[in-house]
Amino acid sequence: MIETREVNFAYRRGEPVINDIDCKIENGEFVALLGHNGSGKTTLSRLFMALMHPRSGEVYVDGENIAKKEPADLADRVGYVFQNPDLQILADTVWDEVAYGPRNKKLSEEKVREQVEEALAATGLTDFADVYPRILSFGQKRRLGVAVALALKPRILILDEITNGQDSLEKEQMMNYLRAINEEQGITIVLITHDMNIARLYARRVIVLHNGNLVFDDVPEELFNGTKDLTEWGLQQPTMAALAANFELTAVNAADFCAQLTLKAGDK
Amino acid sequence: MKVTAFTQLITVLAVTALVFILPVQVVSFILVLELVLLLYIKHDRMTMAAIGALTVFTGMMILLQLLFQSTLEVAMLGGLRMLVMTMAFLCLLAATRIQDIAQALVERFHMPCEYAFMLTTALRFVPDFLTDSTATLDAQSCRGYSNRGNVFKRLYSYLVVIKPLVMRAVAKSDTLALSMELKGFGANTYKNMKKQELGLGDYLVLTIVAILSTYKFWIKYL
Repeated sequence: MIETREVNFAYRRGEPVINDIDCKIENGEFVALLGHNGSGKTTLSRLFMALMHPRSGEVYVDGENIAKKEPADLADRVGYVFQNPDLQILADTVWDEVAYGPRNKKLSEEKVREQVEEALAATGLTDFADVYPRILSFGQKRRLGVAVALALKPRILILDEITNGQDSLEKEQMMNYLRAINEEQGITIVLITHDMNIARLYARRVIVLHNGNLVFDDVPEELFNGTKDLTEWGLQQPTMAALAANFELTAVNAADFCAQLTLKAGDK
Repeated sequence: MKVTAFTQLITVLAVTALVFILPVQVVSFILVLELVLLLYIKHDRMTMAAIGALTVFTGMMILLQLLFQSTLEVAMLGGLRMLVMTMAFLCLLAATRIQDIAQALVERFHMPCEYAFMLTTALRFVPDFLTDSTATLDAQSCRGYSNRGNVFKRLYSYLVVIKPLVMRAVAKSDTLALSMELKGFGANTYKNMKKQELGLGDYLVLTIVAILSTYKFWIKYL
């Protein structure tokens, strides 16, 4: 569980980036954190992981104030996947890269092997275990970033724009996997994204930030009803939601749209 | 009163040579002058951190010299000279745009523009390198590695991130080289920039530098 209480943050000598944010993310939730560039999404997520500490206010992880914690203290509870996968690669093989975290936690080699194998299988990287990680494609590097976080078996996973640079199939696979671990293992997912469609299809709760303020916190159906004007927050309705709304439908994809439209035409 | 990058470069070069011939009192005075100048130009956190880092580095230099059987006086003088030289470069970087330094090197010192570009690019990469190192240390920390503890543990944590940083720097330089070729690098000789004419300030500073550089001559014959 993550909770923020009146959290404020500003970079050195800069304008405030986060203003009085109060929010609570319960265990097992699948939350999408949305907002335009510079709205404070990444900053807020970094506060969750103690990568930075607020100027005022408190951040709690599992009921514990993390003001005096550093990321290493939270690593086995909160996993963080960074925007840029290149900066995370420290080892010479994919296997060692994923094993780096569990080894830091001084787990037995047997346990390390078990957790690494599980994380690699989950992200479809088992066949790449001996590969030099820098030669992986961008999408594979992103999956490696997720595997690295999963290897520590966190209860909360924060993913910063992980679908960027992935093709649609890779995106779908990754999101289905995240949905599976969320539903089956109860891992809390906090997904920072610009992709409205992904937020609409996969998240069960959407938080919107605008200029450092929390402006929306509800279920995606409320936000993506196709008619709500999101431009004032620098966002847009997903194309399918807008199209479906024109026909007074609630379709989430093209097949769904066709089916609903046919049904409606049949009724008439 | 402004001085051009050319004059600043000459002054810095002169200071690096002068620290070896001027008496220790004058060298100390130059250090104070540099500090005042630097804090006048920029007094942000980064500048303070840079001054702090240079002071620590000087302390280490002095300790090293003492370890190798040098006397305290010689070690202190060596440290002072090093500090004055590096501080002069810090003043240059704080006061001048990198493009102006490149232009001065090409126009006044007749350095081939490829070399001038190499020099200025190396300087430009430093902040990028620092940002990348912070990001890599963060990634390391998120994987359970705590760099809290003694100096050796902290040093080790930096050693772990050196390799990814170097790999990234190589990749970046490859991309930069390619994009430079695509933009027709080589055609630009920095001569399309506005020429930096020497003004009153330049002549004044250059005169002082000339007098100080020939200080022994004046002492002997006047």
